Amino acid sequence: MSATTTNHRRGFRLFALDMNEIGLIVILLVLYFGFGATTNGFLSANNHLSLLRDAASIAIAAWAVTLIIIAGEIDVSVGPMVAFTSVCLAFMLKADVNVALAILAALAIGGALGTFAGSLRAYFGVPSFVATLGLWSALRGMSFFTTNALPVTFPDNAFLDILADNMFGIPTSAIVMLVLFAIFSFVSQKTAYGRSIFAVGGNANAAELCGINVARIRVLIFTTSGVMAALAGVLLTARLGSGNAGTASGLEFDVIAAVVIGGTALSGGRGSMLGTLLGVFVITLIGNGLVLRGINPFFQEVVRGVIIVAAVLANILVTRYRERRIFGA
Amino acid sequence: MQTARQQDPQPLVAAVRGATKRYPGVLALDDVDFEIGRGEVRALLGKNGAGKSTLIRLLTGATMPDSGEVTIDGAALTGSGTQRTVEAARLGVRAVYQELSLIVGMSIAENLFLGRWPSSMGVLSHGEMEHRARETLARLGLTLDPRRRVATLSPAERQLVEIARVMIGEPKLVILDEPTSSLAAAEVQFLFKAVRSLAAAGIAVIYVSHRMSEIRQIAQAATVMRDGKVAGTVEVAGADTAEIIRLMLGRSEQEDRLVGEARGGDTVLSVRDLAVPPKLSGVSFDLKRGEVLGFAGLLGSGRTELLRAIGGLDGVRAGAVLLDDKDITRASYGERVKSGIGMTPESRKEDGIMPLLGVDENTVATDFSKVAVSGVISASRMAEAAGDIVRRIGIKTARIDTPVGTLSGGNQQKVVIGRWVYAGSRILLLDEPTRGVDVEAKSQIYAIIRQLAAEGKSIIFVSSEIEELPKVCDRVLVLKDGNFVQEFSAPGIETDTLMAACL
Repeated sequence: MSATTTNHRRGFRLFALDMNEIGLIVILLVLYFGFGATTNGFLSANNHLSLLRDAASIAIAAWAVTLIIIAGEIDVSVGPMVAFTSVCLAFMLKADVNVALAILAALAIGGALGTFAGSLRAYFGVPSFVATLGLWSALRGMSFFTTNALPVTFPDNAFLDILADNMFGIPTSAIVMLVLFAIFSFVSQKTAYGRSIFAVGGNANAAELCGINVARIRVLIFTTSGVMAALAGVLLTARLGSGNAGTASGLEFDVIAAVVIGGTALSGGRGSMLGTLLGVFVITLIGNGLVLRGINPFFQEVVRGVIIVAAVLANILVTRYRERRIFGA
Repeated sequence: MQTARQQDPQPLVAAVRGATKRYPGVLALDDVDFEIGRGEVRALLGKNGAGKSTLIRLLTGATMPDSGEVTIDGAALTGSGTQRTVEAARLGVRAVYQELSLIVGMSIAENLFLGRWPSSMGVLSHGEMEHRARETLARLGLTLDPRRRVATLSPAERQLVEIARVMIGEPKLVILDEPTSSLAAAEVQFLFKAVRSLAAAGIAVIYVSHRMSEIRQIAQAATVMRDGKVAGTVEVAGADTAEIIRLMLGRSEQEDRLVGEARGGDTVLSVRDLAVPPKLSGVSFDLKRGEVLGFAGLLGSGRTELLRAIGGLDGVRAGAVLLDDKDITRASYGERVKSGIGMTPESRKEDGIMPLLGVDENTVATDFSKVAVSGVISASRMAEAAGDIVRRIGIKTARIDTPVGTLSGGNQQKVVIGRWVYAGSRILLLDEPTRGVDVEAKSQIYAIIRQLAAEGKSIIFVSSEIEELPKVCDRVLVLKDGNFVQEFSAPGIETDTLMAACL
């Protein structure tokens, strides 16, 4: 993603496209029509709903992880965080806690765990990779430990059914995803918090000297990420009808892949929600199409790996070309 | 041009003859002759841009002269590109620069042989490495354990390890670039001891420094450069400081002073007995409203440390900082920013700009809330506020949201200053605001500073280019050995007396 366009995307140009995003749209169209023309059932209405649902499970966490990566940090704890909050929620519902209260508590647990990781980074200088790797292991372990690897079931719940079902013919989780997309786009472009994240990722020293509270920003992005992972956990619990310790395995890698495919620089300072949205759909389309084509599931992983690296490589080449033009050779 | 040195003719180690080097827009070296003999310690002085660095680069082979010749140990350098550096190194030229280049996680021995570790059959032989390292350190009179990690060493010890590193192989000429700038006064003697052992071993040493007291202790002769030429080479013993200053400054060019008679406003900032060991011991001064106060001092005299302490970025051992008679010594940087202090850092790239963000966002980053309506940044307000600063300060940018990284250094600096004007800061701490910017931008920055002072802002201006202080400052304080040693007030600020006070 080029610097200029990222930062020009403000005001009425909130959704203006740049080269990387145009490239991703082309890739998406190729994948969509390629699978559409060659794969039975790909274009069916049902499959579209399933595509949206799959996209939502990645995207909701990916919005927050985009902010984290723009700030120059990383969060690898997403998958276990989803599983752990899902298990917590299921236990609470099993114990007949009010559903609204249980969901809020699950979100609070996610937020608290994220805040913990963020504080380790901001105040103690623990690299965010290590802090979230610790969470990754501890939360997954905690989930299995408390459930003995058995699904935690709970009585039927009307509200969770709504979350698991469709609204206006669209999966509720997809609606949540799109609403959050609008909110995150807005926050990242139009609020002091959002712009401070770009400033911290672009040059933390300079941001600090400007009087931006860098430590607070670093904590807040992880808090946000924890809450978003917990929300993904709530939606997943609703969809599965139980809390599962082993769920969302490897989700963190799909999330990070979607963000970097979307053009957010791992070195920080630049990125966009729209890029991540497109990245999420690239990942989802590949997964869905390969399954429908009946490709050997092990080989699917290979194809996915190749496509992720190829997409990011193309992105880097485009960026390098643009920077040479903007900043001079 | 060059005063003949009356010394026993030692065999020459290095000679530069008739060297001219032109960079776009600058004549960096103009027909320069320079020679140095075995075992000689030669001081090299000159203002910024006088040609010292280019001369050093000629000797290390990093730069090729447009015309003229460089001879090391009787052999003329012939290669070009990196080959020339390799050639010079093989002939025995070594340089130690201000920025230390040690890898702190490795041992002294590993650092000494960095990249050329002794090995047998592909396996490093630590025994031999330590043995040879111990020998090398001993030649400099050092007793450091070569197995110690560099991270555990003091700045002085690290500097000494850097010097020990140049002893590997057969050095003939060692160039030390401001080696004491990061050292406390007491540590300098260790360095001198090492330099004397170098000279005793027949190695020629070029010692770049402006501290006359040091030069008198360590060097026999001093070569002074000015405007790309050798202004003169003098015996240190017979020369007084005034003569060296005269050589450095030459006939002073017409100065366009922007300063009028010093005005007496109310005191806004008071610093009392501020101590930041090891650099500052009990510094006191007052800053008045509408005043531009300059801090002069050599590299490493504690100027940056003082600014950072005033800004609250570093802790202080003792003393007080008073803003409007209110003690803010314990206040954090953020709190000081809120009460009206703004600081621009010495290194614009590392600490100043956020290169990917636009001019507008780099400007308003000091206070997003001023351009936000109920928490939402208003694009029009931001454009208006940033546009106002761009016009007031004269920032040249294609558009208001052009990434700052694409601007020229001078314009980047104006943005960094402008963000505090936007924030409404009353006290600006400017650390080397003209470093690395072109001549035109420099005079624009001077004008901006005077304009801000006229508007009632108080400014502390730190510069290592002494001749710019008389142009902008109402008052200049000279820092030396951790304290202010002299004060000058406009219109009585003269470059030569200022420099004499610094050296």
